[in-house]
Amino acid sequence: MTSYWNTFRVIFLRDIILASRYRAELANPLIFFIMVIVLFPFAFGSDPDLLRRVTAGMIWITALLASSLSLEGIFRSDYADGSAEQMVLSGYPLTLLVAAKIAAHWCLTGLPLIIIAMLTAYLLSLPAQALQALFLTLFLGTPVLSLIGAIAVALTVGLRSGGMLLSLIILPLYMPILIFSMLAVENAMADIPFDAELYFLSGMLVLSITLAPIATAYSLRIRMS
Amino acid sequence: MMERQTAQDDHTEDAWLSQLEVSGLECIRQDIILFQDVSFKLHSGDLLQIDGVNGSGKSSLLRLIAGLMQPSAGEISWQGNEISSCRYEYQQEISYIGHLNGVKDALTAVENLRVMVALAGSKPELPLSKALDQIELAGMESIPLSRMSAGQKRRVALARLFITKAAIWLLDEPFTSLDASGKLVIERLIVEHCARGGIIIFSTHQPMEIKDCSIMHIHLGKK
Repeated sequence: MTSYWNTFRVIFLRDIILASRYRAELANPLIFFIMVIVLFPFAFGSDPDLLRRVTAGMIWITALLASSLSLEGIFRSDYADGSAEQMVLSGYPLTLLVAAKIAAHWCLTGLPLIIIAMLTAYLLSLPAQALQALFLTLFLGTPVLSLIGAIAVALTVGLRSGGMLLSLIILPLYMPILIFSMLAVENAMADIPFDAELYFLSGMLVLSITLAPIATAYSLRIRMS
Repeated sequence: MMERQTAQDDHTEDAWLSQLEVSGLECIRQDIILFQDVSFKLHSGDLLQIDGVNGSGKSSLLRLIAGLMQPSAGEISWQGNEISSCRYEYQQEISYIGHLNGVKDALTAVENLRVMVALAGSKPELPLSKALDQIELAGMESIPLSRMSAGQKRRVALARLFITKAAIWLLDEPFTSLDASGKLVIERLIVEHCARGGIIIFSTHQPMEIKDCSIMHIHLGKK
């Protein structure tokens, strides 16, 4: 029996290779993100004070929506072509395979999103201390988005009105992440320590890393039967 | 006949003593009882064909045995244990090929095989390029499946049987979209696997030309 790590690596790389062959699908959420951020200043006017106050919030909201846009792709094609069946029937724990897929999803959507978000935040003249808070919250928060999202996607994959149901399930679960991230950025802008919020986000991250793959595996098994 | 004899000798060396028992199985889909009280017992070397008209539950029975679905009544046990109580050990022993190929169109044949090996949880029996030879796709290593025909994709899916060491094969219409030579390859494979002491349960609507093994039959639905 080859090792667990090797299987994790193969599945992770498989998803990265697949994404590199369907580049358009990969770029969609990022283009959406850039478009919304570019449109915001046109709508709000170019008052720098106002922009400074809303930039972090709108970046977070857009990142959240862009991430949920890309979620459906985690299991959609695997469900349609039978790969998901084979994963469920694998000799390895489904939790491990699902964790590899979620990790790949974050690397493919979360990481580029953070980079673009930091660039746009800088261009919209977010103050330096807020930039740091924004980066840390995005870094801790976006993996949670992928992890929680995967549970909901596994539950709704293959349903005709799955997209609608998916948003209904995940948006309430995303709320705490959004609230604490915004609090952290606000505190940073007011030069108040924002450690508490970061601890909370880290806690959420650890919790979801531990539990989300298990829940996703169960959900997928239910959808298969 | 000679061939059968030597193959059975092999089997005693390479001990694959599997026993699969299905008792009182019932399957209900969308409030319709597909089948009830299906029972059979298979030992190493057995070949079972599931017969029945369309919609009689052949695929469902195979999915139940694979553990993809839960039966509404009855029990499936492997080596005397309920399959849900030894899920991963059991899943390492089975190879299920359903209607869906379970291969990725964007990946090449070799990349697909690599994923299959990683999922199977056992070392490949054959080098991957050798497996491609066996399914008559040699020289097509670097072509993505999206540029292959339906029959060639099916061959890649069936290559799972070559490269993993599963003792129990569950084949749902394995000959779909295969040509005559592809069908022969799979028939030969089925005979070899049974001779080595494997168990095969399959469904097909196509006439089979297997002479070296006796095929057991189970009929689902109304006769």
